[in-house]
Amino acid sequence: MKGTFQRKYLGIPYALYLLVFVILPLIVIVYYAFTDASGRPGIGNFINFFTDPNTMGTLVYSLVLAFVTTCVCLLIAYPAAYFLAASRIRSKSAILMLMVMPMWINFTLRITALKEILTVVEGNLAFHPFVNSVIGMTYDFLPFMILPIYNQISRIDKSLIEAAADLGADPRQAFLRVLLPLSMPGVISGVSMVFLPAMTNYVVLDMLYNSTYIMGSLIGSYFSAYDWHGGSMISLILLVIICLFTLLAGNDENEGTARGGSVL
Amino acid sequence: MRKKIASLALAATLLLVTLISSVSVIPVQAASDDVITIRVCNWEEYIDEGGWGDDEVIDLESGDIFGENALYEDFEEWYYENYGQRVHVEYSCFGTNEELYNMLTLGNEFDLVCPSEYMIMKLMTEDKLVPYSDDFFDEENELNYYIRNVSPFIRETFETNEIDGQYWNEYAACYMWGVLGFLYNPDVLSEEEVSTWNLLINEDYCRQITTKDNVRDSYFATLGAIKGDLFLSEEFLSDPDYHDRLAEEMNDTSEETVAEALEFLQQVKDNVYSFETDSGKSDMVTGKIFSNLQWSGDAVYAMDQAEEEDVYLAYSVPEECTNLWFDGWVMLKGDIEGNAEKQRACEAFVNFLSRPDNAVRNMYYIGYTSSIAGGTDGDQIFEYADWCYSAEEDEEEVVDYDLGYFFGDEESGDYILAVPEEQTYRQLFAQYPPKEVTDRSAVMRYFDGDANARINRMWINVRCYNIGKIKAAGWAAIVLAAVLMTAALIYFKSGKKKTKAIRRPPQPQ
Repeated sequence: MKGTFQRKYLGIPYALYLLVFVILPLIVIVYYAFTDASGRPGIGNFINFFTDPNTMGTLVYSLVLAFVTTCVCLLIAYPAAYFLAASRIRSKSAILMLMVMPMWINFTLRITALKEILTVVEGNLAFHPFVNSVIGMTYDFLPFMILPIYNQISRIDKSLIEAAADLGADPRQAFLRVLLPLSMPGVISGVSMVFLPAMTNYVVLDMLYNSTYIMGSLIGSYFSAYDWHGGSMISLILLVIICLFTLLAGNDENEGTARGGSVL
Repeated sequence: MRKKIASLALAATLLLVTLISSVSVIPVQAASDDVITIRVCNWEEYIDEGGWGDDEVIDLESGDIFGENALYEDFEEWYYENYGQRVHVEYSCFGTNEELYNMLTLGNEFDLVCPSEYMIMKLMTEDKLVPYSDDFFDEENELNYYIRNVSPFIRETFETNEIDGQYWNEYAACYMWGVLGFLYNPDVLSEEEVSTWNLLINEDYCRQITTKDNVRDSYFATLGAIKGDLFLSEEFLSDPDYHDRLAEEMNDTSEETVAEALEFLQQVKDNVYSFETDSGKSDMVTGKIFSNLQWSGDAVYAMDQAEEEDVYLAYSVPEECTNLWFDGWVMLKGDIEGNAEKQRACEAFVNFLSRPDNAVRNMYYIGYTSSIAGGTDGDQIFEYADWCYSAEEDEEEVVDYDLGYFFGDEESGDYILAVPEEQTYRQLFAQYPPKEVTDRSAVMRYFDGDANARINRMWINVRCYNIGKIKAAGWAAIVLAAVLMTAALIYFKSGKKKTKAIRRPPQPQ
């Protein structure tokens, strides 16, 4: 038959999307990052990044903030996901939905509400900017941590735990030696979905009155001062850091990261 | 080759941006050849968009004023009636001057825009603007509402301020204006405490005051504070060149001054509640903060809002000096250059907004102060001020409030309002600051090249985390966390190989 419709043509819209919204902007960023204001190529912006104490200070602050946020998210999300996956209740999906439901409400609205709650608790928000930022980000990103972990744990065959017990492992050992390693792909998927946005999502900080810049706001301040070149370099370096992180954490493609996300 | 790729990529991005922007503007009607389209870009919520409730009629003696439709829609009718030509206004909004500027650099997007004074100066020096035509300044023409009714105070400012030898009034028509000061809660702060820019570092109100998340406003307040002693000295105040000297000092961007400002702003950062762009107004009402660096127009709005919650706020302009700011309409090259019809429509748009009743509608709707004083075409603006602020008959403390400098002749005494005493530090004071306030005002100019870079750098310095503050213990914790994370990762990777052997075969879910 002539002109058969091949299924691969269905990929064209996404390929176009990828080209226009990912690859082209990336090329523009690279171009700007390696040129100066007069358009001459050079690595001045690159050197600036590592020699400017402001950028380094911001990088450290963002990393610490993201690290603490991720730890808090993990500490809350793992037990929640574990008990949900292990429980026998029939309405699992309803509970899961409850956990995810905050995502259905616009996030500025959620943070505004959180701001009022925190004000009642703390009195004056401005005295604890770092803690508030961690709370705000945890509130915002928790579902992204719970979902992949839950998904991963619920895929683990329970007979493996039983087998471990049969072979003499106590519950602690069974958890540490069997369940935890098997659930790691979900954890890594969750960590990368929380850690990376936590480094750049400055709207949360703005709304909770943390006046210290993180990477996202630093890039924004470069752009509003018309310094596209310095801003692009920061974005690019951040991108490289994120790439390295992702490569380090989840290079096993058969394992969880690829199948971590889809529960709803 | 590299250049080619880069320009290709840029071209593609531009194309994309054009595509998106043309999609996002909903075509109201198919534009035929005899309809002129003007593309107007204004600040958000900076024009009367109509839809007033029935109880909102402003019943002045000279007639009722009521906003039914958006002003830009009314303009289309008005233009057809007076010029016999159909015009279509494509109205859109921007959020900051920098955002507008970035939109403009992407290409030919707008015909008429309304940036602030420093951005107007920047656009003027970059030769991006079309001057107003001679017809626009013809006071005989009854349709030239702007030139016939603009306040003498504004007119003089625009005729005497120049950049690169070009006067503002050639390129810009003032829309709204105001000063910079503190919105404050008079129950908590005394008038004396808010009468200086040093309020920002007043430790009695640690974490109870906000400043603007904006380098220019914060820098201005800083200069006012660190040069305060000079400004208040007898010698400075009595200098015949007081105004020029003040303007010069408030536009000082020398390295030493910027370094001093950095130090001051770091203290500010440690003392204020936050650097805010918009949240300050509501935080005043809810009582989270007691004072807030604020533009006069927003202050009027905030005081009105607070009153509805039974909170009474006041406005103060520090004694040292204040920033006189403007937003003005400018026409962009691109489509307008060489297109007289389009330019006429743009100028008519400015004139239409300057018609006194329309200026009243805008002021009522957005709270800012119009540059229009009326006079030639009726006294509606002054009547409106009277309607808003004049004392009731049973008022006890009534004072005279002289607005001669703004509305016309200073000596005539025709423009004096009898107002309740509280209005001398509340809405009226913010909306129409008295002459002694505008007398100590300076315009902050556009900083170019090095000066701009220096100030932006200083600002980033203020806002970034100071890496020097991390103590040895802090570094140890960071290194420890990094080591632990790497160790966990390595452990997991090596552990996984073992568990692979016992992994179950894939099962259908």
